[in-house]
Formats: sequence, C-alpha cells, structure tokens
Amino acid sequence: MSAFDLIAGVLLVASALAAVTLKNAVHAGLALVGNFLVLATVYFALEAQFLGWIQIIVYAGAVMVLFLFVIMLLFDAKADVGLDPLPWLRPVGAALAAGFFLVLAYAYSGLGPVHPLADIKLAGGLPAAIGERLYGPWLFVVLLIAVLLFAATLAAVVLVQPGVRGARKKPQVLERERELEEVGR
Amino acid sequence: MLLLLIVLLPLLGFVFLGLFGKRLREPAPGVLASVLVGLSFLLVVTSLLGGGASWEIADWLPGIPFSFVLDPLSGYMGLVVTGIGFLIHVYAIGYMHGDAGFSRFFAYLNFFIAMMMTLVLAGSYPVMFIGWEGVGLASFLLIGFWYTERKNADSARKAFITNRIGDLGFLLGMALLYSLFGTLSIGELREAIETSAVLPLALGTAGLLLFVGAVGKSAQVPLMVWLPDAMAGPTPVSALIHAATMVTAGVYLIARSSFLYANLQDVSYAIAVIGLVTAAYGALSALGQWDIKKIVAYSTISQLGYMFLAVGVGAYWIAMFHVMTHAFYKALLFMASGSVIHALGGEQDVRKMGGLKKHLPRTHLHGLLGALSLAGFPLLAGFWSKDAIITATLSYPFGGTGFYVAGLAVAFLTAVYAMRWYALVFLGEYKGDAHPHEAPPVMTLPNDVLAVGAVLAGFLALPEPLWNLIEPFLAPALAHVEVHHLALALEWGLIALSALVALAGLYLGYLAFTRGPLPAWYRAFQTWSSEAFYVDRVYNVLIVGPLKELALVLALFDGFLDTLFTAAAGSSAWLGERLVRLQSGYVRAYGALMVLGLVAVLVWGVLR
Amino acid sequence: MSYYLLLSALLFAIGLFGVLSRRTAILIFMSIELMLNAANLAFVAFARGSGQLDGQVMALVVIALAAAEVAVGLGIIVAVFRARSSTSVDDLAELRG
Repeated sequence: MSAFDLIAGVLLVASALAAVTLKNAVHAGLALVGNFLVLATVYFALEAQFLGWIQIIVYAGAVMVLFLFVIMLLFDAKADVGLDPLPWLRPVGAALAAGFFLVLAYAYSGLGPVHPLADIKLAGGLPAAIGERLYGPWLFVVLLIAVLLFAATLAAVVLVQPGVRGARKKPQVLERERELEEVGR
Repeated sequence: MLLLLIVLLPLLGFVFLGLFGKRLREPAPGVLASVLVGLSFLLVVTSLLGGGASWEIADWLPGIPFSFVLDPLSGYMGLVVTGIGFLIHVYAIGYMHGDAGFSRFFAYLNFFIAMMMTLVLAGSYPVMFIGWEGVGLASFLLIGFWYTERKNADSARKAFITNRIGDLGFLLGMALLYSLFGTLSIGELREAIETSAVLPLALGTAGLLLFVGAVGKSAQVPLMVWLPDAMAGPTPVSALIHAATMVTAGVYLIARSSFLYANLQDVSYAIAVIGLVTAAYGALSALGQWDIKKIVAYSTISQLGYMFLAVGVGAYWIAMFHVMTHAFYKALLFMASGSVIHALGGEQDVRKMGGLKKHLPRTHLHGLLGALSLAGFPLLAGFWSKDAIITATLSYPFGGTGFYVAGLAVAFLTAVYAMRWYALVFLGEYKGDAHPHEAPPVMTLPNDVLAVGAVLAGFLALPEPLWNLIEPFLAPALAHVEVHHLALALEWGLIALSALVALAGLYLGYLAFTRGPLPAWYRAFQTWSSEAFYVDRVYNVLIVGPLKELALVLALFDGFLDTLFTAAAGSSAWLGERLVRLQSGYVRAYGALMVLGLVAVLVWGVLR
Repeated sequence: MSYYLLLSALLFAIGLFGVLSRRTAILIFMSIELMLNAANLAFVAFARGSGQLDGQVMALVVIALAAAEVAVGLGIIVAVFRARSSTSVDDLAELRG
C-alpha cells in the first residue's frame, strides 16, 4: 500500500462524510465534487485513464453542476434544518451502515490474491483498448445506453413543463380558491 | 299405514297451525285441530276393529326397529288419549276464545296429541322415548303458554327439569336393557324375558331405572313437585295433559313393560310403596289447598299413586281401568273448574267462590258428578275402579292387608276433599264480586260427554260374577299374573265396605265444610297442607340452592374462558396495532427497513 | 486491490447512511450518487485485480446510467417541489397505515 493509496483513501472518506453530514446543501455538493475528483485520480492509479477523464468530465463536470443548479433553483441551500420527525433514524442508520460494511468486508476477505502487475493487460485503460471492448462484445449495451439517454432527455423535458403537466390541486384547495374568488368579486 | 296417520294427522295440524295459524280467524284453528284429533280417534277405532296393526322400519338404529304397534293395550290407551283429547280440544275452542295465541295453543295441543300417540303406539323403547320427550316438550310449551308472566315460565321450566331427572332414569334403563338383550323392541324383549329360564341379575336395576322415568313423568313422590305448579297453564292443558293423558304415561310404561315387572318382586314392591305414599301425600295436601285447580291437581297426584299401587301389586289391567275412569272424571273436574274460572272472569281462589249452584246449573251438575265419581260414590265409575285396586291389594302376598287398610284410609280422605271441593265452590253463599255466567255450549257439551263417562265407564269391568270386558281385552298385551280370587261373599262385603267408607267421607266432608268454623287442630293441619308440607322449600334448600351456587361458580369459569379467548383474539388486534406503526408513511423509515432486510440477506448469503 | 475494495465498501456504507439520514430530496440524491461511485470503484478495482477491461467498461456504463438517472430524478424533484413547495421527504407521508 503506497502513500498515494493512503492519502487518497483518507481524502475520499473525509469528503464523503462531509457530503452526508453538512447542513448547507451547497457545501455538501462541493464536498461531493471533491470526492469525485479524488476518485478520478484513483482511477488513474488503477490504470483506468479513460474512465478517469470521463469521471471528471461527466460526473464532476456535468452531474454535480446539475445538482448545484437545482439546489439554487429551489432555494434549497438551507433545507436540511428544522424538526426531525424521525430522530431515531440517524443512529439506526449509522448502525445499519456499519453492519453493512462489516458484512461486505467479511465477504471480501474470502477473495483470492491479486495478479502481479506484470500480467495485467489493461493497457492503461486507454480509449483504444476500451473502445475495442465497447464496440466489440459490449455493443448492444452501448446501443441501449443511447436509447436510455434519449429517453432520459425526453423525460426531463416533459417533467418540467409548467403548463402541460401542471400540479393538481387538492379539492379543498380548489374549493377555497373558488370561495375567495366569490368574495373578491 | 293407517297407523302412521294416527300420529301424522295431529303432527300435520301442528305444522300447519304453527306456520299459518296466525292467518286464520277464530275459531278455524280450533276446529281444524279438533277435527284432526277426532280423525285420529276414528282411525284408532278402525284399527282396533280390524284386529290391530303394526308398522315398522327395521334397523332404524343398529338392532332397534322404529315400530308402531296397535295391540289391545295401545289401542285402549289410544282411545282414551284421542277420545278425551278430542273433547278437550272442542272445549278449548270456547275456553281460549279471544286469546291472542289462539292458533298457537291448538298447534301445541295437536303436537301433544301426536307425541302422546307416538308414545302409546311405540313398539320399541326408543320410539316411546321420542314420544316421552315430545310430551315433555309439549307440556313445557303449554304450561308456559302465557309466557309473559314470569311465574308461568318458571312453572314450565320446573316441570321440564323435574321430568328430565326421570328421563335420565328412562335412558339408563334403556341402555341397560340393550346391553343385556341386544334389542329394545318390546315384542322381542317380551319373548326374551318370558322364555328365558334364568334372568340376568341386572334386570332389577333396569326395571328400577325405567320406574324412575315413570316417577318423573307421573309425578310420584319424590318428583311430584312440578304438577301443582303446572296449573299455571290454561285449564284445558291441565285437563288433558296433567290429568288424563301425559301423567298416566308412566303407568302406561309400567303396564307395557309388565312382562319385566312381573318377574321383579322387589322393584314391584317398591313401586307399590311409592304409589301408596304418593296417594296419601296427594290426599293430605288436597285438603288444605285454596286454589280450585290446585285441589284437583293434588287429587291427580293422589289418584296416580293409586295407579302405581295397582301396578306394584301386579294388577296391571286394573291400573289401566283406573286410568280410563280417572281420565273421565278428572278431566270433567278440571273442565268444570275451568268453566267456573271462566264464569268468574279469572278468579281461582275458592274462598271467593260458593253458591254457584244457582248461577251455573250445568257446570254445577258436572262438578257434582265429577266429585262424586272421584270420591267413589257407589255405582259411579270411580267407585268401581278404585275398589278394584284396593281389593287387589288384599291378595298381594307381601303385606297386602297393610296396603288395603292404607288404601281404604286414603279413599276416605279422597271423599272428604272431594266434598270439600264441591262444597266450597257450589254450596253456601257466593262470596266474590264477579257476575257469574254459564259457559257456552261449546264448553258444556264436551263436559256432558265426560259426565256420562264419569258415571257409566265403570260398568265396563265389574267384579265377579258380573261381566268384565276390560281384563280379557287387555290380557294378551299384559303379563300373566296369578290372581287370587277372593270368595264371592268376601268380595262383595268388601265392596260394601268401600261404599260405606266413601259415603262416610262425603257426609263428613259435607258436615265439616258447610257448617261453621273448623276446629283448631284442623286449621293447624290445613296450614301445613296448603303448603304441601313444605316439600318445595326443602328441595330448594337441599338441591336447588346448591345447584344454583354451583352454576354461579361454573359461570365464573365460563367467564374466565371467555376472557381467555377474548385475550387471544385481542392479542392479534394488539399485534396489528403495533405493526401498523410500521406503516408510518415516512419514506426514510421504509428505506431503513429495506436496508435492514438487505443486510440480513447479505449476512445469510455470506455465511452460507 | 482488497484495500480499494474495502474503501469502496466504506464509501457505499457512508452513502447508505446519507440516504437514511438526509431529509431533503436533493441531498438524498447526492448520497445515492456517492453509492454509485463507490460501486464504480469496486468495478475498477476488480478490473485491475483480474487484468480484464470488462470492469472498466461496466463502470462506464454505470456513469452513463447515472447521468440519465440524475436528469430524470432532478426533474421529478422539481415537479414535486412545484406541487408541494417543499423538498422535505418527510412531507410525502400520505401512504401511512
């Protein structure tokens, strides 16, 4: 385990913890961005260069930006405050997460040893190598992803249409509005 | 087939009147019911003239056939039941006029006749038991006919429960007989017992148990307490069920089983003793009653005792003879009482009667004839049959003289209380405030017929050397018993003695109850007698009270069981309430539960 | 490799905790992204460990999927916000028993 592994590990865990505990949503989002960037460096270290770049461009650069856009749009920066109706969920959740980690750790402990570096044929995870796999045995998956992205785009556009998909108001609300109209007239 | 109709016609009447009676106007239900019973009577006559009949479903229960048999004994009894039943039905049309339950009454009466005929015609004991229970049920329904009064419902229940004690004896007796002989058909049992040389030891127990059943149904000591309370029912019910027919079912049972009792000396002795005790108890209690119907009720208990005395000493045909004469004059007495009650608008207390001879001439005649017949006035029906009984006791080998003297003494008392009844109701001055009016013809005509019977029925069986039609008629159906015939002179001498005793009793009664106040010792006795010597209170303390306490304790257990079950059911409700909280609606909670499940599955997967 | 595997498990657990304890839809979503990335790390670690590129290809697919999912998910969040003027998940509690 090299120094890099250690530092990367610490940074990853720290930023993750920050992302799940910070009260200010923007701060949490930024912590998550940091997490993704460190993760990208880890990918580079693990001989997945193409993936690392994609991680930076797509995840940190597009997805998180999108998140921050929506946070700003909904004025949600200080949202995670106020009375918590389920206060028991924090400790219970922590316990469950810890339990989960332990189980997984136990599962992983039964795995065999790793190939020495000399036998690895990853070719550094460069686009050429990845491309050969993608447009080879994984072609069908690529096509499916294309369809998926298209569908997602459509869905996102449809979802945020104001007039076409207006919010249905509760009957009491409609009733009240009608009454107010009567009074106003 | 005709035999079935005898039972089915009144049964159909019951069903029809029960379902549709409300839609018929008076007096249609009564007329219909009477006609059906009348038809049954004619069918019995026809079958008898045809020499008897039988009908059977073999192997109804394993080894036991469902059979009806019309032989001399059942035909004779059937004539009494349907004949007197018919007259009482007609009488009831008038008596129950205006009652809200008119059709229900006749439905129940028809049901009673159907069940009684089942009992009478039964060729095997289980069939008789069906009829036995059925008449018990009819009695319950009819005693408590005006059920809105608490007292009536209680009396009905008392009758039913007391009968039940007897029924247990009957059932056990049947079971014992079945285990001994493997059959409960009367014909087969008779053959088995009469032809076998050695009889099983348990036969005595069986006979005793069957007799217990008779004790319950026929109101013998100690189960006689229900009969006076049964007077809470309408008078036609008292006349039909508690005088003429149902209460004689016990006598009929013993007579039917005469082949059994003829071999059981000890049991027969016990029967005779109990009969005598009952006769004495009934007579003594009748002397102090103030209710017109209760006097007659205790008289019935007393006369039933005489019948059991007769079967106890082996004089089976004489008991049946007494059944018939008693049916005539007792029904007459009840119905005359009913006419009196009807005339006075419901008054039943004898102290508010008197002097009704002028107001109710026809009823007076009926009452007089009935009372005289009961008392044993010479040449009337009651005289011949009662005399036959006490004469028969003389030739009984085990203490016959004692039975004779006691029987004669009770006969004297009978005359006294009969005259008391007559004098308090019809003689002297009227002490009440109602306006007595004579009963309508529909009520007086049946009484006329009964009066004729009460006078003349005795002439069917006269002592030697005169004719006796009944003994030879019934002989084939009864057990053959060796009879000591007394010397002719002695016999007629004793008859004259009975006549004297009866006349003396009547005269004494006349003197005592039409003159001034009675002596103090008598009045003290009368208080005891009017409470029937406190037997009811003793039973309440000894038996009814403890049973009620037991019932309360058991009710506690029952409540405990209920609580247990409610708790068990409630626990699932409790569980549900707890589990419902999981459905909080909070997505995060659901998420937590999902993660919990995930971890659990992973643990299981990893550990495998 | 096992070090990175454990790391991925830890990150996944942290993300799980975040999903359960956050009360705003957006922050829950961010925790889900964290979990997805942890899974990606595991894929890449395995690819490195076994010398095959398929793990990395899978991770690529996951990233694409995540992108699509974010688009739709945020659209839903915006729509819900418009209907209820609140992003607190606890307000969506009408399926209660």
